[in-house]
Amino acid sequence: MLTFLIRRGMTLVVTLLVVSVLAFLIPYAGEGDPARKILRARVNDPALDPAQVEALTKELGLDRPLYVQYVDWLREVLTGGFGFSFTSRTPVQELVVPALGVSVSLALAALLLALVFALPLGIWAATARGGKVDNAVTFMSQSAVSAPEYWVGPVMVLIFARYLGWLPSGGWTGPAYIVLPATALALRPLGYFTQVTRAAMSDVLSAPYITAARSRGLSFPRTLVRHGLRNSMLPVMTLFSFWFAGLLGGSVVVEVIFNIPGMGRLLYTSVINNDVPVIQGGMMLILTLAVVINTVTDLLYGVLNPAIRVSSHA
Amino acid sequence: MPDTMSTRPVPRPNQRPSELRSATPHRPNVLSLLVRGAQGRHWTFAVGVVLLALVLLVLVLTPWISPHDPATQDLGNRLAGPSADHWFGTDHLGRDVLSRLMWGGRFSVTIAAITLVICAVTGSIIGALAARRGGWLDELVMRSVDVLICFPDVVIALFLIALFGTGYGTLIAALTITGWTPFARLMRGLALEINSKDYVEAAEILGSPKSYIVFRHVIPNASRPVVAMGFLRFGHKLITVGALSYLGLGVQPPDSDWGAMLLDAQPYMERAPSLGVLPGAAIFVTALSVTMIGQGLDIKKRRKRAKEPTAIPVPPPSTALVEGEAL
Repeated sequence: MLTFLIRRGMTLVVTLLVVSVLAFLIPYAGEGDPARKILRARVNDPALDPAQVEALTKELGLDRPLYVQYVDWLREVLTGGFGFSFTSRTPVQELVVPALGVSVSLALAALLLALVFALPLGIWAATARGGKVDNAVTFMSQSAVSAPEYWVGPVMVLIFARYLGWLPSGGWTGPAYIVLPATALALRPLGYFTQVTRAAMSDVLSAPYITAARSRGLSFPRTLVRHGLRNSMLPVMTLFSFWFAGLLGGSVVVEVIFNIPGMGRLLYTSVINNDVPVIQGGMMLILTLAVVINTVTDLLYGVLNPAIRVSSHA
Repeated sequence: MPDTMSTRPVPRPNQRPSELRSATPHRPNVLSLLVRGAQGRHWTFAVGVVLLALVLLVLVLTPWISPHDPATQDLGNRLAGPSADHWFGTDHLGRDVLSRLMWGGRFSVTIAAITLVICAVTGSIIGALAARRGGWLDELVMRSVDVLICFPDVVIALFLIALFGTGYGTLIAALTITGWTPFARLMRGLALEINSKDYVEAAEILGSPKSYIVFRHVIPNASRPVVAMGFLRFGHKLITVGALSYLGLGVQPPDSDWGAMLLDAQPYMERAPSLGVLPGAAIFVTALSVTMIGQGLDIKKRRKRAKEPTAIPVPPPSTALVEGEAL
């Protein structure tokens, strides 16, 4: 257990270093020097005053060697944050934290919605393997994982917002605003959750302890809940947290379509506007969170299932 | 003598023919795998093969069968409905939608296929070498997989675009950085299993170099699960390429793909809904077909492997995680 923690901790540190170096290099990559690019992002004027460029280069110390600048930047990041957004002139933290909150609620809503449908469907299919229900569920889950959000989302907006007028087409100001984006986002996890539930449940149902429980006279539904669910939920839970980590920054498309002020849209707009401090802060936060959440999941997995703790190496 | 000198596996008396076939280092190609029939497979497998064949046929024949030039504008005939001349109508610049779907599909499918091949080949080789060599290399590879597999593709793509700007190189690199990991993980599991087989031990005793064993025994024997995974990942790649184009960061004008067509259609969704439906449907059908094929191959593989007792317990290739990577 301890070696596992140390190993994962070191992995995290190395990852952060690599990501931070890359994030630091964003203003230096591509053509043109960073001072010029920063000024361009700030003032949005293609004709730059050379004196201004010179002054900014001096001011930011951009004429020093790269590694010195990196160490300075890293110290600043670790103590004082990422500085100010070029476009809105607010501290990066004040942009990132609320955006992350929005993304967390959107991701949770979508994944819970997916789970609510996936669990019964997967279990139903597993109890009737090879039958009509199983076939239908398989086809449905395959369709769900193949449906792009940027196709389903706009079509749903057209039907439910424009034609029927039941729901708002975009924005983030009330509970009604979460329905369409969460549904669009839920579709693909729904497919994967269903498949994993079905697979895990079929494995469990063929286990000897299920036969034993049934022959002790336990009714089928009760066996299903008491022995089946408890033993088949682990893979589903892992997948859930995996998707959760991914959706924190990865729901870019849905957030852009529905105009939701979440992390994905923030990253997207900052890349479009070349808003370097926000890109740096957002990327480092999202990628760190992804690794941390998955490490915690692996730990929990070991806690909940002693059988694999031994082989934490794999 | 030739039998003992050769590194080919010697058939054991109690070996079943199917096992024998998979043990010979003959490389089954994708086509023969598909043609070998839908017998004993789920009906969705056959549906997937037919759908994919249709899509590929249309895309390959596009230069000869597309009814119009995809770029020719006809501003007097904007957003027109279906007609004899324009089967699927015209877009906001009066261009023929059917022709644009065909030509756009070539971009979408080609980019997805290129990244997929790069991911499958590099991932498999890395996974096989990690299993074969073990030690620090294995540790390095598996830790990298642990980390990279959690990164959402689109976020990595945004990161690379911030660094290098948009372009086909960035697009393919973004999808490859995370895309090789499921293949490496799968291949490592398979390789550990294959490495414990008698014929690999025989090859080792005969002094074959490690790279020979990897390329001669491990990779050919693992090809079926890897191909299955390839089909499963193809749909995901196609959807991600489309997503980036939809965000205006993938295929750049004047080129266009299905995702970019959806982006163009957004302002006209109410006037011409088909513009926003057809390209998405094309992505959906193509992704669905490869998913069906991949799962069909995968299911058969699992059934077969379940019957053979393996020498060492293979860590679960964690299909769950691998499939969950489809972000």
